[in-house]
Amino acid sequence: MNISRRTFIAGSAAAGALSILPRGAAQAAIKGDSYATLIDLHKCDGCVGKSEPLCVASCRQGRKNDFPKPAKEQLKDYWPQKKHEDWSGKKHLTSRLTPYNWIFLQQVKVGEQTISIPRRCMHCDNPPCAKLCPFGVKHKTPEGPVYIDHSLCFGGAKCRTVCPWSVPQRQAGVGIYTLWQKYLPVGGGVMYKCDLCRDRLSQGMSPHCIESCPQKAMLIGQRDAIVAKAKELRQLYNGDIYGMGENGGTSTVYVSPVPFAEIDKALEAQAQRRNTKNTMHLHHADNMLEKQNTLAALSLFSPAIGAVAAIALTSKDSAKGGKE
Amino acid sequence: MTHVERHPLVVRMSHWLIALSGMLLLFSGFGQMPMYKRYNIVKIPGLAWSDNYEITLWLHYAGAAVFTAAIVFHLMFHFRKKEFGIMPRKGDIGESIQGILAMFGLGDEPRHEKFQAKQRVIYAIFGSTALILVVTGMIKSYKNLGDIVLNPMFLQWVAFIHTLAGMFFMLLFVAHVAALMLYRPLIPSMFTGKIDRQYAKEHHPEWHVD
Repeated sequence: MNISRRTFIAGSAAAGALSILPRGAAQAAIKGDSYATLIDLHKCDGCVGKSEPLCVASCRQGRKNDFPKPAKEQLKDYWPQKKHEDWSGKKHLTSRLTPYNWIFLQQVKVGEQTISIPRRCMHCDNPPCAKLCPFGVKHKTPEGPVYIDHSLCFGGAKCRTVCPWSVPQRQAGVGIYTLWQKYLPVGGGVMYKCDLCRDRLSQGMSPHCIESCPQKAMLIGQRDAIVAKAKELRQLYNGDIYGMGENGGTSTVYVSPVPFAEIDKALEAQAQRRNTKNTMHLHHADNMLEKQNTLAALSLFSPAIGAVAAIALTSKDSAKGGKE
Repeated sequence: MTHVERHPLVVRMSHWLIALSGMLLLFSGFGQMPMYKRYNIVKIPGLAWSDNYEITLWLHYAGAAVFTAAIVFHLMFHFRKKEFGIMPRKGDIGESIQGILAMFGLGDEPRHEKFQAKQRVIYAIFGSTALILVVTGMIKSYKNLGDIVLNPMFLQWVAFIHTLAGMFFMLLFVAHVAALMLYRPLIPSMFTGKIDRQYAKEHHPEWHVD
């Protein structure tokens, strides 16, 4: 579903239940009135006493119709590799991101304090995942969310590789590649991740995870207001902020009374104790696109170099060679 | 003089800049598709880095800078010198068909000028594909510069066209190299600039080399 400008505005106007509302039409850039979210780790208690965190449960329930439904005969190895990624037998898994679980909760002890961290796509401002998709089927919207067109995704999983947090997850046996995988070994399924409930946003509702949070630890609203709120909370907690500078900036801002460097160190130590390889970190990630901005700009400037060289050579009439 | 100059130095240099950067773009461009790891290219000695998207992106930008500059140079240089011998003309398609049939002994070879009609047609196809790649590539480079958010559907079409045009460019490149086998006497001219005068008189009678 598209968030058209019209539905976005209408949605914003109708979103009376939200604490902070996007009010204006989003423009073709990351603007102050685009959506952003705030996750307050001081408030999040991991839904202590409940069978599973409500943000996770509500996402799984609310988005279940969007989860992949692979046909068994389509689950084939990625030739010439002897493996494929099939999560359909692990739908119950809530301890990590999968094609069937778009948000999960990390819990880690930092000193005497247990920190609960809801994790999902950060919806980056300059997302390498979307911008480097070879077929352009992953989109960064001016409204904020980054989403995947499941009907066109081949499941090459490049987006997962270039994401600093390895957020998108692949399910084999679904998607457009199933039309040709019998004849041509190209594609590997479809990538899945949080899209910030774009369809709900377009109707003026907030994402499932945010709506269901009993602690009101998550907020969605205008970027400017969310950033202001995050800074206010940081001051209040004498704490730290994560997400505003990472990967070139994101639309998700975490606030914590504990420095994120310490939380990340604790996550790493926990991963080593548990011998798990794929821990989602809270590290400072550079944006791989922005590291190469100079060369990208040079490629844009190169027509001028060619033109100047041609004018210089023809003006002096110094080019050698006969007429045709 | 037993030889005649076919390609002056500036033409050879721009050809090789386009060719070498084009090959770099093809390799790094295909590397931007998630295929070198899957299809075990990374296991070829010396190519373990080839599935690193940061490296292939760097190479792609570098290749694009040279490729784009050389193409603009080529167009502007020949435009300013009013050299349009390679541009397709009316009747080239028919003459190309006649030339292809002649290769199989069906009918006479058309009387060629410096460039054959087939070469002019291929130049137009190759050139148009390159221009499509340059324009779509520049849009793709621009949107990578920061938090620049263009219309997602526009970007989808740009990416799709760029990728498909890249694949077509690969086919044209292979065809171009394969076609060299048919015109072996012309190969040295891409290095030395010169071809045998007698060959030129026989095969390009309308190219007045005397």
